[in-house]
Amino acid sequence: MNEERKKILEMLQQGKVTVEEAEKLLAALASPDEARPGGEKPANKYLRILVEPGPKSQDRDRVNIRVPMRLLRAGLKWAAFLPKHAHSSVNQALHEKGIDIDLSKITPDDIEELVSQLNDLTVEVEGEEKVRIFCE
Amino acid sequence: MMPLLMRLKIGRDAGKRGVLLPIFIVWVLLLALMAVLLPFVLIAAILTWLSGQGPWPLLVYPLLGSVLFHLSGLHIEIERSGENVLIAFL
Repeated sequence: MNEERKKILEMLQQGKVTVEEAEKLLAALASPDEARPGGEKPANKYLRILVEPGPKSQDRDRVNIRVPMRLLRAGLKWAAFLPKHAHSSVNQALHEKGIDIDLSKITPDDIEELVSQLNDLTVEVEGEEKVRIFCE
Repeated sequence: MMPLLMRLKIGRDAGKRGVLLPIFIVWVLLLALMAVLLPFVLIAAILTWLSGQGPWPLLVYPLLGSVLFHLSGLHIEIERSGENVLIAFL
């Protein structure tokens, strides 16, 4: 048991904090994000893509891309420009690749949910180069 | 808000900071171009509407606007063999 946890329990024992307050403090210790009102994580503003040379890499190539999430949302809305008759051929091509998505059924709400789910995305690949994709 | 400046750095000897370009001039020119093209876009929208495909050309303006408005913060930096390319909207 770490010191902070011990202190919170001592404060509870001494009656300095209520059970609910102690519970909140313990939850905050376990996960700082959950301590926010409503338990919601703050929305990330950027999607970051970083490619850095690995320890064994001879190249010094680097890529550093930061895309605002709002720009991502706006860009995805351009999908509305796909003509209706193109939907079936795109769906067919996706189906052949094993992706069963019906483009005509994708709504702005779906796009919003897709982007909001990106908040939890973290991809880390380490090989000759170190690739990191995450939101911040 | 639309980005007003663009930071551009290309090549080895572009300096540490690169150059700051007043990108707002491009937006002014683009706005003028969009105003000139508006009648044609309206005609295209009417034609597509009558053909049953909906007035989707009318969406070009708000969607383009939303992309331009949210360009601020976009940062693309690539370094390869000592060559640098940096494009950042401020």
